[in-house]
Amino acid sequence: MSIRLQFLIVALSTLVLPWAGCQYARELETALRDSQEKTLLASADTIANALSAQPQHVFRDPEGTQAFAASRGDLYVHPLRVQPLLDGYRDDWGVAANPSPLPTTSGYGARAQAGSTERYLYLYVEVDDTHFNPQPSNARPERDRFDRVDLWLQRPDGTREFYFFGTSAPGLIAAQSIVSGGDGRDRAVEEQRIQAFWLQTSAGYRIEARIPLSFVGSRLWIEAVDGGGSGSAGVDAVDAPDGGRLFFTTAGLDDLLGTFIRSGTRATVVDANALRLGSAGNLSANIPGAAEEDAAPWYRRFMSVDTSSFPQQPSSAPDRLGGNGVAAALAGRSHAEWVRGAESQELLLTAAAPILIEGRTRGGVFLEQAGDQLLALRDRAVTHLFNLTLLATASAVVVMLGFATWISLRIGRLRNAADSAVSSDGKIRLEMPESAGTDEIGALARGFERLLARLNEHTQYLRTLGGKLSHELRTPLTIVRSSLDNLESEGLREDQQRYVTRAREGTQRLQSILSALGAAARVEESIKQAESVNFDLCELLSSAIAAYRDGFPQARIALETPADPCFIRGAPDLLVQLLDKLVENAVDFCPASGTITVRLERALGSYLLHVQNDGPPIPQALHGRLFESLFEQRLGRDDKPHFGLGLYIVRLVAEFHGGTAVAANRSDGGGALFTITLPLI
Amino acid sequence: MKKHIAIVEDEPALRENYSAALARHGYSIKTYGNRRTAMQAFHTRLPDLAIIDISLEDEAEGGFDLCRDLRALSAELPIIFLTARDSELDAVSGLRLGADDFLTKDVSLPHLAARVAALFRRIDALRRPDNAAEIIRRGSLSIDGEKMQTTWNGTPVTLSLTEFWIVHALARNPGHVKNRQQLMDAANVVLDDNTITSHVKRMRRKFQQIDPAFDAIQTVYGMGYRWVE
Repeated sequence: MSIRLQFLIVALSTLVLPWAGCQYARELETALRDSQEKTLLASADTIANALSAQPQHVFRDPEGTQAFAASRGDLYVHPLRVQPLLDGYRDDWGVAANPSPLPTTSGYGARAQAGSTERYLYLYVEVDDTHFNPQPSNARPERDRFDRVDLWLQRPDGTREFYFFGTSAPGLIAAQSIVSGGDGRDRAVEEQRIQAFWLQTSAGYRIEARIPLSFVGSRLWIEAVDGGGSGSAGVDAVDAPDGGRLFFTTAGLDDLLGTFIRSGTRATVVDANALRLGSAGNLSANIPGAAEEDAAPWYRRFMSVDTSSFPQQPSSAPDRLGGNGVAAALAGRSHAEWVRGAESQELLLTAAAPILIEGRTRGGVFLEQAGDQLLALRDRAVTHLFNLTLLATASAVVVMLGFATWISLRIGRLRNAADSAVSSDGKIRLEMPESAGTDEIGALARGFERLLARLNEHTQYLRTLGGKLSHELRTPLTIVRSSLDNLESEGLREDQQRYVTRAREGTQRLQSILSALGAAARVEESIKQAESVNFDLCELLSSAIAAYRDGFPQARIALETPADPCFIRGAPDLLVQLLDKLVENAVDFCPASGTITVRLERALGSYLLHVQNDGPPIPQALHGRLFESLFEQRLGRDDKPHFGLGLYIVRLVAEFHGGTAVAANRSDGGGALFTITLPLI
Repeated sequence: MKKHIAIVEDEPALRENYSAALARHGYSIKTYGNRRTAMQAFHTRLPDLAIIDISLEDEAEGGFDLCRDLRALSAELPIIFLTARDSELDAVSGLRLGADDFLTKDVSLPHLAARVAALFRRIDALRRPDNAAEIIRRGSLSIDGEKMQTTWNGTPVTLSLTEFWIVHALARNPGHVKNRQQLMDAANVVLDDNTITSHVKRMRRKFQQIDPAFDAIQTVYGMGYRWVE
C-alpha cells in the first residue's frame, strides 16, 4: 500500500467529524423534542387550569354532565361561519362531517345534522323515502297520513312546542304547528318564523330548516314519519323526554382560547364527550427562514431522528376529537406525544390536559403544534455545522493527499538515488538528494550518505588491497627466495635439494598470485601514463590472435575483421591487455570442442569488438556486475588464482579509450558475448 | 683486489642473504640499514658499487635521496636499485637520478650476481683502451658487447643495463620476434610484461632523442618485439 493511499485512509478518518455532527444533530433534535413536548404539555396544563377557573366561559351548560348519546337523538350543533341559503343543500354549511343517522326501529332511513349561527339554529334532515306522500290541504296530523318530519322544541323557558314539516309541493315552506280550533278540531297553522326548504331527490327528500335561536332551548326532538306507513326514524319528546339534547359549542370560547396560544399552535377544548367546544389557532405558522430550507439536503436523513415509527394521528370527526391524548385527558391525565398527521403525514406534537372542575373531569384541552418548525430550526444550525465539517474533511483529505504526494515523491527520489548509488561500473555516488532536509527523510538521506561514504572507503580499500598486498608480500617472499638461493649455493644433498626445489615452486606460485593481485593497480598506473597513437586495429587483432593460437593450442580461435584497415587512436599495449583478458576468459569458459570468435565491426561512430564463446551463459544475477572490481563468481574450473580483476581491467582499458564494455548472452543462447565499443578517431 | 660492494637495505634478512650471496662470488660486502649510516660510511670511503633499496626504514623514498647524494659524491660509481617497488614511475625516477640499473626483488640471487658482474665488466671495459671486441653493427646501430655501449649514428645512447641487454637480444637476430620472456632471460631479470613494455618504450624514446625517425624496434602484438633494419 503506497504512502499516498495510507495517508488517504488516515485523512478519511476525519469523516468522523460530520458523523459526530450528525450524532450531535440527532441528540439536539431529541433534546429539542423533549423540551418542546414539556413546554407544550405545560401550556396545555396552564390553559386547562385557567379554563377550570372560569367554567361559565367554557361550558354553555355548566351542570350538564350527561353523556352524549346519538341513540337518544342527541345532536351536536356545528358552529357555522356563514349564513347558509335555504335550498336543501348543505354544501354551504362548511361542515365536513356527514349527517348522523336518526335512531329507528322500523328500518326507515333518516339522517340529521344541526348547525348554528349567532341568531339561528339550522337543521338538515334527509330521509330515504322515494315515494312522496304529499300533505293534503287542511290536513290534520293525527288523522291524515303524509310524509312529514316532526319537531319538538324545548324553549329556553322549559316549555315544549310541537311543529312539523310537510308539504303538498316541494319548495320553500314554513313549519306548521297544531292549534285547537274553535270547532274543537285541531288545525295546522304555519309558523312563518321557522322557514324550511323541502327538496325532492331521487333517493328521497331533504329538509333544510332555519329556527330562530330564541325558540331553542337545550333540547330538540326530530322524527321523520313515512306517509306510506312503513315506519319512522328519530325520537319524540313523549317517548324520550331525556333525549334530543343539543350540544352547542361555547360562544366566545374561541376568542378566549386565542389569548392563550401562540401562532403555530392549535388549541381545542372538548367536553367530557370529546365533543369540540371551541378551538383557536392553526398549525401552518410561518417560521422565518424555514422556507429556504425546504429543499432538504441529501444528508438530512443522516441527521434526522427516525420518525417513521411515530403513531398515526387518528382522523377525528369535526365535532369530536379522538386519539390517545384526548382519551388520557378525559381520563384525568395530562398527556403529550408525537404523532404523524392524519392526512399530511407531517410531524405533529400533541398535548392534552384535563379540565377539572370540583374534582371531576369535565373536559380537556388539546394542543397541536407542527413538529416541522423544530426541524427547520435545527436544520439551520446543523446544516451549517455539517457543511463546515464536510468542508474541513475535504480540505483535510486534499492537504493530506498533497502532503503524502510530496513525501512519497521525496522518498521516491531517495529510493531512486539509493538504487543507482552504486553504478553498474562499481562507482559509488556519495551525494543523496534530500540530505539537506531537516526532517527524518533528510536524516535518512544523510544516513545513506554516511553509509555510502563508508562503503566507498571500504571499496577503495579493497581495490587498493591487491596492490598493497602484492607490494607488502614481496619483501618476505624475496627473503624466502633469496634464502633458498643461498641454501642451494651451499651445496645440498640430493634429498635436500628436492625440498628446496619444492619450496622454490611454492614461491613461484606465490609470485604469480601476487602478480595477479597487483595487476589492476599496475594497469591503472599504466593507464595514467599511457600515450595514445594512431594504429590499425585489424593488424593488432590479427597478430594478437596469431599469438593466442600459439598460446592456447587447445582452443579454436576465429577472427573476423573488416577487409580494410581500421585505424583508431589509443594505446595498443593496453588494448592487447584487454584482448588478453577477454580471450583468457573465453578460453576458461569455452568447452574443448567450442570456438572462440573475435569479430570487429564498424558501427556508427565506433568499432564494436565482439568476443564470444560457446561456454555456458552468464547467470542472470551476474549481469551488470561482471565488470566490477573484485567481482569474481566462477566455479572452480582450474587452479589459477582469480581475483575478479580481469574484466575490471577490460573495463578500465575500454573506458580509457572512451568506450564501454558490455557482457551479454548470445541471442542464440549458445554462450557469452562480450562487446567492447571503441569510438572512431 | 676484491671489489667492494655496499648494500643499503632495511630488511635484515634480505641484507644478509644478498650479502652472503655476493660474498660467495668474491666481493667484499658492507651492509647498511638506513641512509644515515650509509652516507656516513660513504663520506669516509666510497664503495666500488652500491645496491640500494628505495624505501629505507622510515624514509619511503630514502633510496632516491641516497642515490642523489651518492651521485653527487661520484659521477662514475655504479648504482643498482634493488627494490620491491615495481612501478614504472619508480623505475623512471631511479634511472633519471643516475642509477645504472633498476631491479625488482623478484630477481634471483644468481641473476643479481650476474648483473653485478656485468656492470663491473662494463666499468672495466670502459677504463681499458679500445680494442675491437665483439661489436654488432645493424645499420646505424652499433653495440659494443664488451663495453656494453650502444651508439646510433655514432652517438652514444645511454641505456641502463637491462635496456642494453634487451637491445642486444633484439639486434643480434634482426627480424626475429623475441617475446617478453626471451627478453627477460636475455636481460637476466624477472620482470612482468608491463615492465618490459615500459622498458621498450623508454628505449625507443632514448633512440628518438638522437634520431626522431627511429623506428627499428617494432611491436608484434601479443607476441613480443623485433628489430627491423
